Amino acid sequence: MIWMKRNLFRSVGDSLLTVVFGSVAVYVLWGVLQFVFVTGRWDIIQVNLKLLLVGRFPEELLWLVSGSIMALAFWVSAAATSSQSTKEARPGFGRRIWEAFQRFGLLAATGLLLIAVSGDRASLVMGAMILGSIILGQLVGFARRTLSPLNALPGWIWHPLLAVAPIVLVALTLSQASLDLWGGFLINFYIAIISIVLSFPFGILLALGRKSTLPIVRLISTTYIELIRGAPLFVLLLLAGVALEFFVPSSMAPGQIARAVTVFTLFTAAYVAEIVRGGLQSIPAGQTEAGKALGLNTTKITTLVTLPQALRNVIPAQIGQFISLFKDTTLAGVALNVLDLLNVGTAITAQDDFLGQGLIYETLAFVALLFWVGSYVMSRESQRIEKKLGVGQR
Amino acid sequence: MSSLPSAPTKPPLWRDIRVLRWAFQLLVLALVIAFVYWLYGNYQTNVARSSIPTDLRFLDNPANFTMPGNDLDQSQPVRDAFVQGFYNTLRVSIVGILLTTVLGTLVGIARLSKNFMVRTFATAYVELIRNIPLLLLLTFMNLAVILQTFPRIENAWLPLNLFVISNRGIAIPWFTGSGGILLAVLASALVLTWIVVKIRGRVSDINGKPARGLTWGLPTFIVVMVAGWIVLGYDWVLPFVDDRATSGGLRLDPSFFALLVTLVVYTSSHVAEIVRGSIQAVVKGQSEAADALALSGGQKMRLVILPQAFRIAMPALGNQFLNLIKNSSLGATISYFELTQIAQITVGNGSPAVPAFTLTLLVYLMISLVTSVIVNIVNRRLALVER
Amino acid sequence: MKKNVAIMAALAAVTLVVSGCAATADDTSAETAPATTETVETVAVSSVLDSVMEAGVVKCGTRDALPGFAVLQEDGTHVGFDSDFCKAIAAAVLGDAAAVDMVDLETADRFTALQNGSVDVLVRNTTWTASRDGGEAATFLQPTFYDGQGMMVTADSGYGSVSDMDGAIICVAKGTTTEGNAALESSRLGLDWEVRSYDETELILQAFLAGQCDGWSSDVSQLTGLRSAYPDGAEALTILPEVFSKEPLAPAVLDGDTQWAQIVNWTILATIQAEEFGITSANVDSIAASTEDVSIQRFLGLELVSDDGSAVLDPGLGLPSDFAYQVVKQVGNYGEIFERHLTPLGLERGVNALWTNGGVLYAPPYR
Repeated sequence: MIWMKRNLFRSVGDSLLTVVFGSVAVYVLWGVLQFVFVTGRWDIIQVNLKLLLVGRFPEELLWLVSGSIMALAFWVSAAATSSQSTKEARPGFGRRIWEAFQRFGLLAATGLLLIAVSGDRASLVMGAMILGSIILGQLVGFARRTLSPLNALPGWIWHPLLAVAPIVLVALTLSQASLDLWGGFLINFYIAIISIVLSFPFGILLALGRKSTLPIVRLISTTYIELIRGAPLFVLLLLAGVALEFFVPSSMAPGQIARAVTVFTLFTAAYVAEIVRGGLQSIPAGQTEAGKALGLNTTKITTLVTLPQALRNVIPAQIGQFISLFKDTTLAGVALNVLDLLNVGTAITAQDDFLGQGLIYETLAFVALLFWVGSYVMSRESQRIEKKLGVGQR
Repeated sequence: MSSLPSAPTKPPLWRDIRVLRWAFQLLVLALVIAFVYWLYGNYQTNVARSSIPTDLRFLDNPANFTMPGNDLDQSQPVRDAFVQGFYNTLRVSIVGILLTTVLGTLVGIARLSKNFMVRTFATAYVELIRNIPLLLLLTFMNLAVILQTFPRIENAWLPLNLFVISNRGIAIPWFTGSGGILLAVLASALVLTWIVVKIRGRVSDINGKPARGLTWGLPTFIVVMVAGWIVLGYDWVLPFVDDRATSGGLRLDPSFFALLVTLVVYTSSHVAEIVRGSIQAVVKGQSEAADALALSGGQKMRLVILPQAFRIAMPALGNQFLNLIKNSSLGATISYFELTQIAQITVGNGSPAVPAFTLTLLVYLMISLVTSVIVNIVNRRLALVER
Repeated sequence: MKKNVAIMAALAAVTLVVSGCAATADDTSAETAPATTETVETVAVSSVLDSVMEAGVVKCGTRDALPGFAVLQEDGTHVGFDSDFCKAIAAAVLGDAAAVDMVDLETADRFTALQNGSVDVLVRNTTWTASRDGGEAATFLQPTFYDGQGMMVTADSGYGSVSDMDGAIICVAKGTTTEGNAALESSRLGLDWEVRSYDETELILQAFLAGQCDGWSSDVSQLTGLRSAYPDGAEALTILPEVFSKEPLAPAVLDGDTQWAQIVNWTILATIQAEEFGITSANVDSIAASTEDVSIQRFLGLELVSDDGSAVLDPGLGLPSDFAYQVVKQVGNYGEIFERHLTPLGLERGVNALWTNGGVLYAPPYR
């Protein structure tokens, strides 16, 4: 009761605010619950679930996608578990379960929702297998930490060894199923990941170029960065949709996804460059001076002293940029007609069974849910990393 | 007794750092130029093969379309349509920036409120909006709000008989007469008000009584505006429903409204986070000093915290403003006739795509650069002068 | 900071120069283009037929949500009038109607997809106009559907004719001839229209349902399809009698490859010719076995026995000799395709009937 008085009813004005906002919240929540459970017609999602999640991926090759997801889950959990330190105090088992729940509960709930919506046994089996591969990864990581033969393997052998299976599976998926058939949520992820990976080295080069003392290099880098940052992504995509083929020899005519990846890479590189430049500027001058005192030349100072620290400091900002990129992949759907999640969501409302029934709300709600869960989980992880690294506190 | 070094010998050419630096730069420059030249060569070959025009002559062709909100005739050249699109982009951007700052600041302060309900509401708002794509929000705003909530023109809402609200737009009362002269009256009213506030401030400095700038300034403003209105013979025109349209008054395009609301809601969620972070970054001592001076909560926020917080937040805010301007290009998906929509329509009507979109890109670049220069100027004025 | 100002000034200067000197800027490549296209034709970079045979699929540009013409199904296939013609081309060239890769294209970039080779042929209810023939590097072929642009309104709107619609709001799809036509029509009739244009049909439908648009202007075939699927029933909508443009919908291929153009052309013509002969997918086998008519035998690629020995007509188009047989067997003749997809929407044959039935469909003789 004291809590209520202090937090909700401090004064007359305060109480008024509580009442107003409280009633609005109740009204909105009630409407949403009614929509989700009573009036919403979710069969459009059920029927089109495959189209929404993977687009027109060939049915017979879908096992490659599930296999890749399982391998990736295994890799991530094994790598994470095997690099945990045995020296620091580990909280009790119950507490660890609670923390895992906090971190991954939302993801697990969404996975369960998807399985429930699809309503068939195959997806239940797939969900169980993904869970199994995560647990297997944990066991393998644990074994690495405790069992003596594995313990002796140096890190630079162990981690690539773990990565072999997922990389092979992903490469197989890419080679077997033509990229133009990929679609749905899968293609949003794919474009985002490829673009951020490709833009990373390019962005670092641009950042170094912008800080360089060589005037021509600085001019070229600055011009590029300012040009790209001043342009709307939507217009760049539209331009790439019509212009890219003019700039390459006709034998290399790019497909829609290749265009999307090109534009997103070039676009993100400029933003990554700004982030890295900010990181470089935040390194105290003392570091550079210490490097000079040790007799290192500029290149060595950059690669061994400043850049590693800068990159470590800007990891949260990088993750933020990735989240932003992930959400912006929806623009590729409108501008380049890539069959991404939002595009599919709009297109399926025109099917014979569903035309003109106002089912756009259901599809948009589903699309919003998937994007929201993805972005929210990633931003929470980034906050966690920020806290663990102690960025800005040391 | 070490021997002094002899006169410094010049290092050989291939180890001389100055030569190396310049050689490297020239190499980079040569690579970039070669790359650009290769691109240009491909462009020429491919364009020659496909007989598509690549110059800007299409700007002289008749537009063959009209758009709401202006008097553009369809026989006017495409160039005029582009200019109108440019104005529309500016319109939504400027209004959007103003509203975003207000809403974002309010939500940012609300996130730090002591009231649990307000705090939770603001947090839920920010976390919800920040994590969904803008395009999704825009599609939703267009469909759910404009098309579902607003009534059909036959059943339009007529609040106070002053406005006409329907899904074809919002009509507000407007004045008859020259807009430019009214703007001049507005400007002079603002100048006079500012003078009055300054005078009151000086008077208050001398005799120590409260300045009461607002109580003097506001009536001044109102008096000048009303006087100008009456003297120059302006009159109101109220909108009304006329068959299936609204006559009289000024009709705001529903797409403009949807785009504006979406941009404001989306960008203000980012601005709220920035404002919150910058309020928390204001040194705690300031807040405690304000408490020691017995300033009320509102006074503390207004006079002590917010000015300092804005100084910290300004660069990040400028970034968000730029984002808003660039995001306005998504208005093309809901048929708001801003720059990108104009470009798409002229391309559909036969204009060559590459020059049209390149021109659009250049215009956006210009707008962005001007805005960042303005933000930089504001930044420098606000920046603390370190002793 | 100074760099910022310098770049801004440079860009502003560039933008001003570029937009102000529109009239004086000229591009020699545009002038020389007509001269070079002829030489390019004979020195084809790689013929489309070769690349299609090598790839084993025909890449067909289509759309994903037009009732009756092309609709994307749950299993990823497309069903519709245009989709069937795509399949016919695959059946003719590769012998397998399923060897087709349907590429969904937005209206705004359907021609660029053709120009850069992402699709081999565009069968996407596209209107054949002079400026597209010339300006989009496209060659149009036998029209599959002679259409016109019309206006659809709600039955209770009180509009009886287009000239009643002064001051109305019209919704159209972006990037089509519809906007230009609507503008010309409104100026011809002296009406004042406000035009709203969207990328997606679903958005136009929502706007129309909510009463934001008074009228929906598009090709009559599209309007009929949409009217048949209207949630409140087809009687709630009226398609106004005026047709204000000629819209012959025809497949298109890229300029420069005459062989491929002729292949697509004769595939379409084969369906028309088959209907004229009375050959359907059901009876094609029995007719092939039993017919005495020489012209039908030639058409289906059957051997012609004559005094000099037997021979099969090969007109040198680059198609297998039994292409017409494959097309009719696997897809059907023109009438079957029409009845399968367009008759359920309520579209009459009208002008799209055979010349013997008062329409304009007339296939040149296959000999």
